[in-house]
Amino acid sequence: MSARNDIFAAIRKARPEVAAPTSIASEAQACSQAMKRTLPPLDASDLVGLFTARVSAEKVGATVERVARLTDLPGAVARYVATNALAPDFALQPDPRLQQLAWQDAPGAELRPGAPLRRDTALAVGLALGGIAETGSLIFHSGAEAPTLYGFLPLHHLVALDAQTLMPLLEDYAVFASGLPVPRNVNLVTGASGTTDIEGVLARGAHGPGNLHIVIFN
Amino acid sequence: MSAPSGTFQERVDKALGNAQLKVALERTTGNARRKRAAAVEAWPDFVAARAAAAAIKDHSIAHMAYYLEMFERNALASGAQVHWARDPDEACKIVVDICKAANARTVTRSKSMLGEEIGLPHALAGAGIRRVETDLAEHIIQLAGETPSHIIWPAAHRTREDVAKLFDEHHREKPTAHDVVSMVGSARKELREDFFAADVGISGANFLCADTGAICTITNEGNAELTTTPPRVHIVTAGIEKIVASTEHALQLTRLLVRSATGADLTQYTTFHCGPKRPGDLDGPDQFHIVLVDHGRTEMLTEMPEMLRCLRCGACLNHCVVYRAIGGHAYGGAYPGPMGSVLTPVFDGLEQTRDLPNACTLNGQCRQVCPVDIPLPTMLRHWREQSWRAGYEPKTLRAAIRLWAFFAARPRLYQLAQAVALPAMRLFAKGGWISSLPLASGWTAARDLPKPPGESFLTSIRKGGTP
Repeated sequence: MSARNDIFAAIRKARPEVAAPTSIASEAQACSQAMKRTLPPLDASDLVGLFTARVSAEKVGATVERVARLTDLPGAVARYVATNALAPDFALQPDPRLQQLAWQDAPGAELRPGAPLRRDTALAVGLALGGIAETGSLIFHSGAEAPTLYGFLPLHHLVALDAQTLMPLLEDYAVFASGLPVPRNVNLVTGASGTTDIEGVLARGAHGPGNLHIVIFN
Repeated sequence: MSAPSGTFQERVDKALGNAQLKVALERTTGNARRKRAAAVEAWPDFVAARAAAAAIKDHSIAHMAYYLEMFERNALASGAQVHWARDPDEACKIVVDICKAANARTVTRSKSMLGEEIGLPHALAGAGIRRVETDLAEHIIQLAGETPSHIIWPAAHRTREDVAKLFDEHHREKPTAHDVVSMVGSARKELREDFFAADVGISGANFLCADTGAICTITNEGNAELTTTPPRVHIVTAGIEKIVASTEHALQLTRLLVRSATGADLTQYTTFHCGPKRPGDLDGPDQFHIVLVDHGRTEMLTEMPEMLRCLRCGACLNHCVVYRAIGGHAYGGAYPGPMGSVLTPVFDGLEQTRDLPNACTLNGQCRQVCPVDIPLPTMLRHWREQSWRAGYEPKTLRAAIRLWAFFAARPRLYQLAQAVALPAMRLFAKGGWISSLPLASGWTAARDLPKPPGESFLTSIRKGGTP
C-alpha cells in the first residue's frame, strides 16, 4: 500500500465514525463562535485609533501618520526620506494606484520611485489591502501588483493603508478573505522584523524591514 | 552537527555542572515567562479561550481524514504537489529526491521542529546538499555544530557572549560590536546572499488549512518568506496533526500560540502559502511541495489524542523547573521539556527513553500554561505506569520502590522508620542544609537537602503542636 493509503487507513481505524459534511461544518462554526465569546472587549467605534495604538505599541514597534488622501502619500514619503536621511530612490510596489501618484511634485525632496527591488534596497513603498485593528496587522495578498518580497527585502517599508479597509478582528479578516480568490501568499505583517533569539531580548531588523512606517489615509 | 550523546543521567550531570547554561536558560525563559504573564493578564477570559482552542484542535483531530482529504484536494488545485510519508526515512527521501531533481546545491531552511524530528539536516548532509539555516537561533547553533535546545529559542542555551565568539569566528564580516542589536545586524548581512543563492527553500508549517489548501508559517524575523520566495522550489514538511478546518481556526489558534510563546498579540509575519508562482507573479517558487508526515501520529489518535493538540509554543518548557535546570540537550530528542517527554517515547520507543517521563516533579505548571489544556502530567504518569508494567525500570529501582511500598503499607512500621531516620539525617546537616548523605549522593551531588525537622508531621499534629 502507498504511504497515503496507509496513513488514511490508520486514521480511519482510530476514528471510524463518519459525519455528514454539513454537521462537520456546523460543528466547526460552533467552535469559532465559542472562541469569539472569550475575546477581550474591543471598541470598534474607532478602528483607526485602535489600530494606531496597537501598531505603535512598543512590542509592535511601527510608526504611524495620518494624511487626508492617498494623493498625500508622496509628501509623506518625502518627509520620511528626509527624517531618516535616505536616498530619494525607492522601490515602488507595482500597484497602479501608487504608480499614478504625482511623485515628482512632492515638496522637499526629488523623489525617484521605480528603483528595482534589490537585496540591499533601503526603502520600498507599498499599499496594504487592509488592516486588522485588534493586532495592528497589515494585510497583503500577493499578485502581479503586490509581489511578496516588497515587504521583506527593504530596510524601511513604508505602507499606505486606507482607513476604510480596517477591520476589527482576525475573524473579520477570515470572513473578508473567504470572499476573494486565495492568493499564493497572504502576508499579515505586524510591525517591523525582530528577533528575540539571543537571550530573549528583542532586536529589530533581523531579516525583514527594521522599520515599518504606516501612512493611514481616508 | 552533533546530537547530544551519553545516557540521560550523564547528560543531566553535565548540564547541572554547567553554570553558564543556567544563566542562559534563566535569561531566555525568564523573559518568556514575564511576557506571557503580561499577555495572558490582558485577556480576562483566557481560561475559557484555552478550552475553546482545545475544542478547535479536537474538532480537526476528530475529523482528521475528512480535513486532510479536503486540504489535499485544495492544495493540488492550487498547483502544489502533495507527498505522504509514514516515517522519517520516507519523509527525508522525498525531500532529498525533490532537491536532487532540482539539481539543488544549496538549500535554505527556516526553523521547523518537524525537520529536526525526522532528521532532515542529517539527510541533506548525507546527500551532499549544502544547508543554510536562516532563523537566527538556528544559524547560531549551525555555527556551533549543535542541535536545538528549545522549540522556540533553539539557542536558549547560548549566552550573548557565546554568540559573539561564534560570529567573530565564522562571519565573513565580523559584528561591529557585541551587543545584541549589532550581532543581529551581522547575521542579517551574513545570510542575505544565501537567500538568493539557494535553489530550494524548506519550511515547516504551523497550520495546514483544509478550506484553502494553504499552509501557514508564523515567524518574527522575516526569514521564512526570504527562504520560501526567491528559490525555484519550496518544500514544506509538516506533521499531519497540523491540519485545521479553516483559515479562521488557524488565526484563532494563532492568538493563543503567540501569546503563549512570546507574549506578543501576533508575531510579525503570519503568512499563508498556497501553491507555486501564478501567472503575472513577479516572485515566488516554480514548484511547491508539501510533505505530510505521520511518524506515530496516527497511533497517538488512539493512545494520547490530546497530545495532537500541541501547538509547539514552548510555554511548558519555559515554566518547567526541570527544563530550566537541565536545558534541552539533556532530554536527547528533538523536543525537550514536558511536551518532549511525552512525545519522545512515541518516536523513539519507551524502553530507550523511559527516563524522560521520570524527569518531572508533577507540579502541574506545564498543564496550567498550556494554551490547549493538554493534560501533560497525566500523560507523563501514563508513560511511567507503562514503563513499570513493561519492566523497563532497573532492578535496583524496582527493589527500592518495593521496599518503600512495604513500609508505606504498614503505617506503624513506617512511622518507626521515620522516627529513626529523621534524627539521623539531622546529624548530617550543616547550617540548615544537608550537602552530603550516604545512599543519596544522586541527589546531593547537584543540590542540597533542607535539614528535616526533629519529628514527623504526624507526630507533631498528635502532640497538638503546630507542624
